[in-house]
Amino acid sequence: MRPPVIDVRDLHVRFGEVEAVAGIDLSAEAGQATALLGRNGAGKSTTMRVLAGVVPPSQGTALVGGLDVSNDAIGVKRLVGYCPDVGGLVPLATPWEHLQLIARLRRVDDWETRGRDLLERFELGDVSHRVTSGFSHGMSRRLSVVLAAFHEPHVLLLDEPFDGVDPIGVDATLDVIADARARGACVLVSTHLRDLAMQACTTAVVLRGGARVALMMAGELEGEAGADAYRALLD
Amino acid sequence: MPTARSWTDSFTDLGHLLRFRGQTVRRPRAAAIAATVLLTITLAAMVVPTWVDGAGLPGRADQVGFYLPSLLTGFLILSVVSSVSSGGGRELLPRDQAAIHPITTTTEHLGALALSPLNFAFLFQVWILLGASAYVGGGRGWLASQLLVLAWIAFATAFAQVIGWSIEIVRRGEHGVAIVRTASVVGALVAVGLQLAGQFTPLLNAGFSRRLAALIDGTADGIWLAVPALLALTVLMVVVGTVPAKAALARSPRDELKSDSGSHPARPLPASDGAMLVRIDRASVWRSVPMRRGLIMLAVSPGLVAMAGAMNWTSVLVLPGLVISGVALLFGVNVWCLDGRGVLWRESLPVSARAVFRARARVLAEWLMGATAITLLLASVRAGLPTLAQGITILTMVAVITLQVVAVAMSWSGRRPFSVNLRSARATPAPPIVMVGYSSRLALSTTLTALTFSAASTLWWWLSPVIAVPFVIWSLLRLRRAERRWVAPAPRAAVVMTVAG
Repeated sequence: MRPPVIDVRDLHVRFGEVEAVAGIDLSAEAGQATALLGRNGAGKSTTMRVLAGVVPPSQGTALVGGLDVSNDAIGVKRLVGYCPDVGGLVPLATPWEHLQLIARLRRVDDWETRGRDLLERFELGDVSHRVTSGFSHGMSRRLSVVLAAFHEPHVLLLDEPFDGVDPIGVDATLDVIADARARGACVLVSTHLRDLAMQACTTAVVLRGGARVALMMAGELEGEAGADAYRALLD
Repeated sequence: MPTARSWTDSFTDLGHLLRFRGQTVRRPRAAAIAATVLLTITLAAMVVPTWVDGAGLPGRADQVGFYLPSLLTGFLILSVVSSVSSGGGRELLPRDQAAIHPITTTTEHLGALALSPLNFAFLFQVWILLGASAYVGGGRGWLASQLLVLAWIAFATAFAQVIGWSIEIVRRGEHGVAIVRTASVVGALVAVGLQLAGQFTPLLNAGFSRRLAALIDGTADGIWLAVPALLALTVLMVVVGTVPAKAALARSPRDELKSDSGSHPARPLPASDGAMLVRIDRASVWRSVPMRRGLIMLAVSPGLVAMAGAMNWTSVLVLPGLVISGVALLFGVNVWCLDGRGVLWRESLPVSARAVFRARARVLAEWLMGATAITLLLASVRAGLPTLAQGITILTMVAVITLQVVAVAMSWSGRRPFSVNLRSARATPAPPIVMVGYSSRLALSTTLTALTFSAASTLWWWLSPVIAVPFVIWSLLRLRRAERRWVAPAPRAAVVMTVAG
């Protein structure tokens, strides 16, 4: 049996006296999409930031593709594509310049065609040379997903990718997740939109108060019964 | 819910907002100490000169008195320039935060006025004016003359605000940016022309400022009438200012919107990671409206003053320190805010933290040196070519002060980051009270460095490079310390999380 691509054990993250993550255990497999669910402040985004190599753990271990985020953050960053929950764009750079930065730092060859294709799929082709500070929230979210998926990462981390996104953008994001799974990538999606999470993912991890309270199959959270079960976990 | 309410309500709202800003100060004790220090310096500027030898007596006091009208008019002109360049003055609350509150334009106007003194350039001029008038008058009529100066400062500030808002109406109108730019160039050329024709100083010594100076030095009567008259004019200006404020704030900021929708054609991929990082950082600086506007004001104005005043290279040596410290305040004291919320995504890219730090420091250094180059170029029109010794001193000094300011700025940026949106021309990279501390510390250190090099230039040509060695070593050590802090994951994550908001 292959080891999980994401393997988090007893993860704690503290910011001063605030404990944002209080002992999360989490694992996710290649070719699978896992939803991270939970209320505001449950620790979803902080966990994502740890897995993206942005925030170091205060305690516990977080392995991504077998690499420890504490010891080899750069190695982890090479494996990961990350869409942060807020913003995620350099205000006065254009989408094309964002792609250039990725292509340069991640050593992506022959990237222009894929870049154009992705921007078109997310209906951002017309604005590829416009600075992002004038983008709407939905446009910013869509571009953030493009930037996370552009280099076909082994691990795709999408934090609130559907937030404020129109149906076409939602479909494009679902396609990106499906494509990533099809090529064997491990996908982690954090969202408050349970229905979309269930549509995109195979399993779901529910967090509460910075800790994991449930690991469920997507089917268990579908429909009215799933909604009730989910609400019960949040209270 | 009614939002356009009475003046009383606007003052009440102003109080609430100032208290809110006060409560969000991260280090209240340090802020209280800073406020006490500033107040003490102000009181000292009002009192100490009266004790100095020659105060109020013919001779040296007369010499200072000769410049008093120019100083009074100069304060008015610089207040207007400051208000115009900052798009009507500073924001009481950042635009994004203020958008959800029913803050009236009157409250915005009052807020901009209330924040005007939180600026080192303003405070420095106030101290000079108070000190000069105290020295000129001596103990004689001290209270009245100081009150008159304070009333003039209040009037000039309120008047500048009226002009600032009025220009902002034009700037936000159709072709407004072009009109204001053209008018600024014409104004600058007229000022230079007046100076070349020997008419600028007489203009500074205009009738009203000569009259004020005469009241201050006691050669004219009626000071106790002038104080309430100026205060009444101040109140009038505050009231009048609400009209252009309302009109200006009702319009969209065209140049900022133009910047937000700016299109930049693709360029070839750079040859190295470092070059790509530098390109993105440069874009964040040079495409920003407040940066460009600030650069023009801070680099071109001193250059024009030097050109118009036919300053020689010995005098010009003081300028680079002031320009560099001023330009660093546009974004350098909080360099990571250039990425805005994109800092989280940028931090997830596989590149060493050291490379990111060095690219940002390099762009900051380029920015500072570019501004100084503009100033020196303009100054050289009248000053001519410097001698070899002067040339060596200038180059050494600019390099040293740039390194010094980059080291300090990178250090502050790592230790005290702020989540700031610099899209607005009225925004600052740190809260106003923090900016006062930053600006005073930068101005003091760079001026002292400039004076050291200026003194060295009068001795031997080789002295400046020799003196530069300890400055360079100290700054490099400080820069390395700042880099080490940034490279460490936990402090860097704290910066990233703060800047991302």
